[in-house]
Amino acid sequence: MAIDEGAILKSELRWAMVVGGIVLVILSAILFAALSMHINPPSNREFADPKTLHTSDEFTEANLGTRVEPDGKVVARIIATQFNFVPDCIVVPAGRDVTLRFTTPDVIHGILVAGTNVNTMIVPGYVAQVHTRFTRTGDLMMPCHEYCGLGHSQMIATVRVVPPGAFRPAADGRIACGERRPA
Amino acid sequence: MARQTDLVPDDGGVSPAGAPAEQRALDRPWRLWASIIVAGALLVGALIGFVLIPAGQAGNANLSLYEAVCRALGIRSGSPAQVQPVSSAVSVPVSEVSWDPAVMRILAEGNSRRGAAIAAQTCASCHGDKGLSQSDVPALAGQSPYAIYKQLADYRSGARAHPQMTGVAKALSVPDLAAVSAYFAAASKEYAAIGARDLVSEVEIERLAREGNSRRRIPACLSCHLNGVGGPIETPVIIGQNDDYLLAQMNAYASGQRRNDVYGRMRDISAKLTPAERAALARYFQGTL
Ligand SMILES: [Cu+2]
Repeated sequence: MAIDEGAILKSELRWAMVVGGIVLVILSAILFAALSMHINPPSNREFADPKTLHTSDEFTEANLGTRVEPDGKVVARIIATQFNFVPDCIVVPAGRDVTLRFTTPDVIHGILVAGTNVNTMIVPGYVAQVHTRFTRTGDLMMPCHEYCGLGHSQMIATVRVVPPGAFRPAADGRIACGERRPA
Repeated sequence: MARQTDLVPDDGGVSPAGAPAEQRALDRPWRLWASIIVAGALLVGALIGFVLIPAGQAGNANLSLYEAVCRALGIRSGSPAQVQPVSSAVSVPVSEVSWDPAVMRILAEGNSRRGAAIAAQTCASCHGDKGLSQSDVPALAGQSPYAIYKQLADYRSGARAHPQMTGVAKALSVPDLAAVSAYFAAASKEYAAIGARDLVSEVEIERLAREGNSRRRIPACLSCHLNGVGGPIETPVIIGQNDDYLLAQMNAYASGQRRNDVYGRMRDISAKLTPAERAALARYFQGTL
């Protein structure tokens, strides 16, 4: 039985429209997420030597955690390591731009804060940086979402979002959850 | 082969482009429109990827539109999204050991025969013959060379302190440290031959050691403290280690008295454990020799 050429054309057209529609939906989802929620692949490329992180300038133990920089920017530095985030709790103000900077001395980790645009892989050798603004106050969970070894499921950090009035850093600009670990 | 050629429709060996004129006429608008749509999709995609999304990202990352577009295009790759102020924190490394190729080479070249001589002279009186200690002095046999080197180097640099060990480590050269580490790591084979140890414990403690506790964010001890399972390369093996020694170290970590664990992993975990759990874990890991 010969199929009518016109029928083939119509069928092709219909399927092309279906495919085109799917592409359009995906593109608009990407666009919406990127523009309204700032969810996009990090384009920041910055190197950090994983072997000497603990003796580096920026990611020494003493420099981790949230700090208000002299120019007023809120920056939190976190090390993801097998099998712990250091520190495992950070304080950030609600309604203010916050920069999160992560790196790791060992293997690939990842982080995610549900309901925000914070979602990135943390790859040894690189600094993963995320800009965000938290709106809801309270304790948010930030688990490791990239399998990193036997202790992966215990690797969870807390992001404590406090109202701007309750965000009171010390004179050196630092602020930590509860008591600071004996140093 | 003959059958395959049979399956090809008999078009006189002409490609579709050489189809009859009437079919070509029918195909022309299709080819035209398909090309336009594909080109249009590419253009829209490029616009979204290289202009629209970078434009949205620019303000968020404190970049100018021009910079953001350049970075998306890969012209200015490598520029940080935001120039970070250099940290003003005083660098206080807890441990200066870093596993760079130079250190690894020293460890690979660690002369275990020389190490044996040093060990017999300086280590054996406390750590026992071949590192099999009979007291609350830690057993060294069974450890990786990295574990032993890390602690010796930390004693040497002052990151870890001990009335005797600080002096001992300072008196040895770096190649000596590597030699001793190599010797004790090699002695681990004899240690393994001693046989399996029975682990004595309660269910809760066993679970903590093997599975950790997600709610309390305590990773399983054994996710790192076995040879080659994971975690930092310098993590010591603690099965069979003396319980008084283990407990003393966990307590010293919890109080912050000992702090040569890079990024405070053990300080953090020890502080999360109750004193009773620390004691039970120490007993659990000592097992029986
Ligand atoms: Cu992880």
